[in-house]
Amino acid sequence: MRYIYLLVAVAALMVLPMLTTGYVVYLANLLLTFTVLCLGLHLVIGECGQFSLAHAAFYGIGIYVSGLLSTHVGWPFPLSMLAAGLVAAAVGVLIGLAALRMRDIYLALATFAFGEAMQWVFLNWRSVTGGPNGLRIAPANLFGWEIITDKQAYPVVLISAVVMIALTVLIARARIGRSFRAVRESEIAAQAMGIDVKQTKLAAFGLSAFFAGVAGSMFALYSTYIHPDSLGFSTTILVLTMVVVGGLGSIGGAVGGAIVFGLISELLRQAPQYQEIFYGLILVLFMMYAPKGLFAFLGDLWGRLRHG
Amino acid sequence: MTMTRRLFSTVAFGLAATVSGAALAQEPGLTRTSIKIGMFAPLSGANMAYGFDVANAAKMYFDKINKDGGIHGRKIEVVLEDDRCNANDLVAAVKKLVEQDQVFLLNGGSCSAAVVAAKEYVVRNKMPLVMLNASGDGALYPPTDYIFGAFSISQYAVGGAIVDFAAKNLGAKKIAYINHDDAYGAWNLEASKVDAEQLKVELAVESVAPAINDVTAPFLKLRAANPDALVIVTYARPAALIIKKAHEMGFTKPIILSVTGTASLSQLADNVGGKDALKNFYIQDVLADLPGGPKIKWVYDMYKAAYPDLAAKPDHPQTYMPYGIPSAMAIAKALEAAGPEPTREKFLAAMKKTNFDSGVMAGPVVFSETERAANKATIFIKYDGTNKSLVPGVYTSRWKYKG
Amino acid sequence: MDWSLFWLFAQQGLASGIVVGSVYALLALAIVMIFKTSEVPNFAQGEVFMAAGYLALFLFVFQGQPVWLTVAVTLVVSFLAAALFRRGVLRQVALASGSPVNLVIATLGLSYILKGLVRRTGFGDTPRSFPALVGTDSIMIGQASVTRLDLAILAAAVAVMAFVFWLFAYTKVGRAMRAVGMNPKAAQLMGVNLEKIHMLVWGLSGVVSAIAALLISPKILMTADMGSIVTMAFAAAIVGGFSSLPGAVVGGFIIGIVENFVGLFISSRAIAVAPFAAIMLVLIIRPQGLFGGKFAIKKV
Repeated sequence: MRYIYLLVAVAALMVLPMLTTGYVVYLANLLLTFTVLCLGLHLVIGECGQFSLAHAAFYGIGIYVSGLLSTHVGWPFPLSMLAAGLVAAAVGVLIGLAALRMRDIYLALATFAFGEAMQWVFLNWRSVTGGPNGLRIAPANLFGWEIITDKQAYPVVLISAVVMIALTVLIARARIGRSFRAVRESEIAAQAMGIDVKQTKLAAFGLSAFFAGVAGSMFALYSTYIHPDSLGFSTTILVLTMVVVGGLGSIGGAVGGAIVFGLISELLRQAPQYQEIFYGLILVLFMMYAPKGLFAFLGDLWGRLRHG
Repeated sequence: MTMTRRLFSTVAFGLAATVSGAALAQEPGLTRTSIKIGMFAPLSGANMAYGFDVANAAKMYFDKINKDGGIHGRKIEVVLEDDRCNANDLVAAVKKLVEQDQVFLLNGGSCSAAVVAAKEYVVRNKMPLVMLNASGDGALYPPTDYIFGAFSISQYAVGGAIVDFAAKNLGAKKIAYINHDDAYGAWNLEASKVDAEQLKVELAVESVAPAINDVTAPFLKLRAANPDALVIVTYARPAALIIKKAHEMGFTKPIILSVTGTASLSQLADNVGGKDALKNFYIQDVLADLPGGPKIKWVYDMYKAAYPDLAAKPDHPQTYMPYGIPSAMAIAKALEAAGPEPTREKFLAAMKKTNFDSGVMAGPVVFSETERAANKATIFIKYDGTNKSLVPGVYTSRWKYKG
Repeated sequence: MDWSLFWLFAQQGLASGIVVGSVYALLALAIVMIFKTSEVPNFAQGEVFMAAGYLALFLFVFQGQPVWLTVAVTLVVSFLAAALFRRGVLRQVALASGSPVNLVIATLGLSYILKGLVRRTGFGDTPRSFPALVGTDSIMIGQASVTRLDLAILAAAVAVMAFVFWLFAYTKVGRAMRAVGMNPKAAQLMGVNLEKIHMLVWGLSGVVSAIAALLISPKILMTADMGSIVTMAFAAAIVGGFSSLPGAVVGGFIIGIVENFVGLFISSRAIAVAPFAAIMLVLIIRPQGLFGGKFAIKKV
């Protein structure tokens, strides 16, 4: 039954470019990219309880791998998207290996440090990333058809996002998803139940990085330029707040948080004098009064209104 | 509340624009009585000081044009967006202005690294982009048909000119050079190297991050190189830290600060611990006169008249405010030259022939078939904490774009 | 590099490293204080530091108040504001959800609010300085050059650290704070008022940050973004051991010296990445830091 709603939503989204301007489609592309980023973070933090704060680094790896493959080697984008995800995943697993013994705040700080160190690498590895001058990304192509504008990229971006959402649902329902949640609740109990905690954690890191890499590849589709300034802790924090404000631990929360917060972020651009204050207030108020996230809050509200 | 109104009008306009589409004038942003200009600058955040008042200056100039009757009977309408000084938000602002607000031309960009991000989009959509005060060298070389900038100064010019000054005016044979490891830094270092090579002087270079707190290490290394002069091409805070450290360590050779590091001069004297640190100190500038001096007083008067509330606040007008004038002037002149039936092509053709003295900058605003950077002239001022004296001469760079 | 130059660099690097390290140590102390009692890493520590500095700037430079009044007001306001934030906001967040990530995000929200407020005042435009309360003439220690202000910073930092140690180790209130950190439920059963202790710790952390701001603003110049120095403080806390107060201090000095040595002997460009490399190395090789106790597994 619920799938009907989803199909209707997707169909409605498909026709968006015909009804509106490139700017709105650009926003849609951006929100879909954030959705995939949020899903990745949801997997590692929400499902598996591992506070990995290096998300922007994997996002960056995805953008550069995708962009460079398109520009220099001319791979068709499905391949470069896959490559971007896999390279990011590989780095994610490496980080996971180094972080296996770490817990909570220490894991968070170690991954935060890695993320910042990665941004420094992006900024200084001029031969690959263009360093502080940024990198031009050539248009992606699929068998001769070039993707240049936002409207052209949109169908691909939308399909990628839908595929990643489906993948997240599959993971959540599969055994690996149950293992994630078991490890999140208690590593010792999980181990006692026969779950290989080490493998589970590595899978969480790897999958989360894969998602971030794919999101990077999506960004590379509709963007012509990337600069390391947008690949630091502030981006990771933005994704984290989207996930938490949407609702940590639920896929709907991750998707909803991405859309709502992404819109808020763009709308706040219209209120330059106050935006930092608003943003901070939103965070504080949500944490005080809607700790399980926006959608749980709305759900509760709806429930209370209905039943009086 | 303004935000809701703007949101509503954005959505409403978006719908209207898509429906009515080409039913308006031949060129978007143009009607019988108005020309719509899309302006963007950092209006918030850490880098607000680079663009907020610059945009205000351009707006006030356009207001003056409107009061004097407009251009060929058309009033200039400005739509202003906040680009937050970063690539992603700048691209979002540009896309909104072009596709949602359907402006005739773009006048924006105070942050160079960010404005370069919009280059492909602007060129692809054949949209004229006249920068505000960004150097934007990365978008000006190689020249495109659509992007004009460096009304403040090209960073290539900054780097070359400062080496020129140190070598010719101060006789330095070995120059200690400290810059940032960002796009700005890369551009001005490149030009500095060209001038250094041609003048046969040696450069000892240290690059630091803008957020640096302890400058002991880079300064110590530069001092160990035994230079004849210290050239600082950083932003205001690191610059003040370095000048302070130099003074603490007893450095007496001339120190020259580039225009990128000069925010508020009076504050600089406080920040470096007083006048003693500025005994042998020069600053590079790109304005035609000392800030507030007689030649450019009219700009500050115009600002006070246009924004009396802002002018009353501390630190307003912000240091870079006058840079908005040459940009707005260039646009007004090119629109005038494009005639009563302007098109974007006509406007661009007129821009390429621009050559006038704004009265605000040290050099004329000159574009040509091959040149998209307006200003390459700098002056130098000796500042000792209270007195500013102009060093005669206009300095520029030997750097040339090798297509 | 010849030996005499190397020796000069080493001396200066050490001296400057200790001076700047004492500031990192103060902020690390503030962070660890809160973490020890409530397991929350305060992501707003840098902004509290920054806001306190701007308050002092406003009072002293713009309102022309005398020094003693400025210092007193700044310290009191910092204490109250931090304590009230704990009471008004974080208590509610903790009640609403036990999850530590929510508390961290709330502190993040505070950091944005503080930054936004300071920018609204318009003082954040240009880098500003707070007049040094002590002379800035140079003193030579061996071949290293430091200023009187540097030495004052070091002395004041050491005094604050000593006070905080004494408080935590030898007073009843300090024991209560440690108890709350080790086992809140047991502490409550023993009659400790949890909320009061939390407020006290936050208030104290605010005061320490304010002292750091008063000391160092003349040295590093004030901008609305000066809170980013907190990254160094986090690195210091980790190197020292995140729940160890003496560790935070030693960590601060180490990070300051490492920063200088990296800049002098490797490259100025590498200074920016040094703290992150330090964090990763320590957490991989010896996660409890230099002084942290045995790594306890809390969750079961």
